[in-house]
Amino acid sequence: YPLYQLGNPQMRLFRPPFTMTLVRPGKEQPPDTVQFRIPMEITKFDVRNYLETIYSVPVAAVRTRIQYCTNKKRNHLNQRVKRPDYKVAYVQLAQQQTFQFPDIFPETENKYEEGSAEEMQEKFMEDERQRQKPDPRRGGVTEWFGL
Amino acid sequence: MASCCRLLLHPFLCRKPACLAFSRNVQIIASTAESLYPPILPSRTAKSKSAKRRVLLEFFEQLRACTAQEKIRALTRIQREKYVIYPQTFALNADRWYQHYTKTAYVSGLPEKTFDNDESVLSELRSAVCNSILQEHWYMKKGRAFAHKEQEHSVAPYLRNIVCALKNVLAKENPVLGLSSLDFDPQVNFYWLRGERTIPRGHRSGRVEPMRFQIDDKPHSQIRISQQLPEFVPLEADISTEVPVVQSAPDLLPLFRRQYDNNIFVGAKLEDPCCYGHTQFHMVPDRFRRDKMSKRGLSDQVEVTLRANGIASLFAWTGAQAMYQGFWSEEDVSRPFVSQAVITDGQYFSFFCYQLNTLALTQRSDGSNVRKNLCWGTESMRLYERVTDGDVVGWNDAVLRLLVRFLLNKP
Repeated sequence: YPLYQLGNPQMRLFRPPFTMTLVRPGKEQPPDTVQFRIPMEITKFDVRNYLETIYSVPVAAVRTRIQYCTNKKRNHLNQRVKRPDYKVAYVQLAQQQTFQFPDIFPETENKYEEGSAEEMQEKFMEDERQRQKPDPRRGGVTEWFGL
Repeated sequence: MASCCRLLLHPFLCRKPACLAFSRNVQIIASTAESLYPPILPSRTAKSKSAKRRVLLEFFEQLRACTAQEKIRALTRIQREKYVIYPQTFALNADRWYQHYTKTAYVSGLPEKTFDNDESVLSELRSAVCNSILQEHWYMKKGRAFAHKEQEHSVAPYLRNIVCALKNVLAKENPVLGLSSLDFDPQVNFYWLRGERTIPRGHRSGRVEPMRFQIDDKPHSQIRISQQLPEFVPLEADISTEVPVVQSAPDLLPLFRRQYDNNIFVGAKLEDPCCYGHTQFHMVPDRFRRDKMSKRGLSDQVEVTLRANGIASLFAWTGAQAMYQGFWSEEDVSRPFVSQAVITDGQYFSFFCYQLNTLALTQRSDGSNVRKNLCWGTESMRLYERVTDGDVVGWNDAVLRLLVRFLLNKP
């Protein structure tokens, strides 16, 4: 950011060059906390202004931390490969609002439509697997010995 | 082993079938025989859970026989990392979390108490309080305070004047106040264990350890008396308000861990005769003033900070009073400890009453504990609108009456 000196006009960004990514928290967070991955250069106040002006989300508090990622991994040339660091922002919403990260990959029951080739193939594979299983009446005993 | 062999040779065992007689009669005879051998106890030094349990139980048994000073020393001797709870905190919705950590149910409104209104006393106090307000804002020409020190520049001396005036005038009505001790800027500390957590990483990761908490509070002033205040509700009374339960770890509040001396302090040392608490007065610091909070967009958090302050400070004070009397988590309080607090920022006053019913907050003692601590509190009420032309405008008598009622509380 350009350096601010006394008497300068208020610094305004009309087209912010950065984006923020909403992520699912790794650890369980309180219901009013939203977790973002943000570029390393921006600060808590930038996050607050960004959310309040562009998305009109009421923000009560923002806390940030920098996650250091490893420089220990080595590639096939034995050179150290750095995984890039990133900054995480925990945003607490004002006015008692809550946010729950949605389930992006829900479980689907029927993946194939009726009468298609994939469904017949899936049925055939299922029958094969069923035929390979041992007799359940034997209660887990192997069929190597006996009649 | 020898006793079983001896019993086999006993004459009347042979009459019954051997296997049945052996198993049944051994137990009957073993229970009725006098104990020739010492009781079978788990080891004290083995690397087992039963050994650790036995060591702990023996330590608690040994503590029951000690004096209060020794109990406090034994329970706070070992330093470990603990969560530090600040009564005046910037954390959002802190009052719910603090209620969970102190097992307090918050009831809005004050408990019922009748007191007679003496008009002469009220008018004398009204003039005293108005005088101190005018002294601060009108008569005395104070320069502007340095940044963020406005509260302690203007409100602290005015609150000091009010507390002194109230105490001296009401000492006639309430004899306890005459023998009380009024401290300015006292320290109140309390250390307790509550709940358990699994250590996430480190050489002790995976083990379960209790969560330790410490409150270090510095109220503006407090009044300590030599007799205990009467309880608001009986110890085993059933209050319908529930204690909120917070599932998240304390680090998410945010609450930070530090390791230093575990202190338990009422405001004076154990030998002081005025060991029971009466009223505390708290001043709202600059960053939690109404105008600054609304500038940050946190107008609804103002009441929350006041409540959190009341609950945490009063729990620490009453808990420390109970520890001074020798109660701790295994020896729960036999009578409720009661204290009051007034939190103000100069213009707005809020009143809190606290009754400590239980100190048993550790995982071991909380399983069978039905008692919970209670906190009654009010919303913040304005004492006056503003000061103009040597006159206090918009005087609210109800606040003064509540102040008088608080200070007239006697055992």
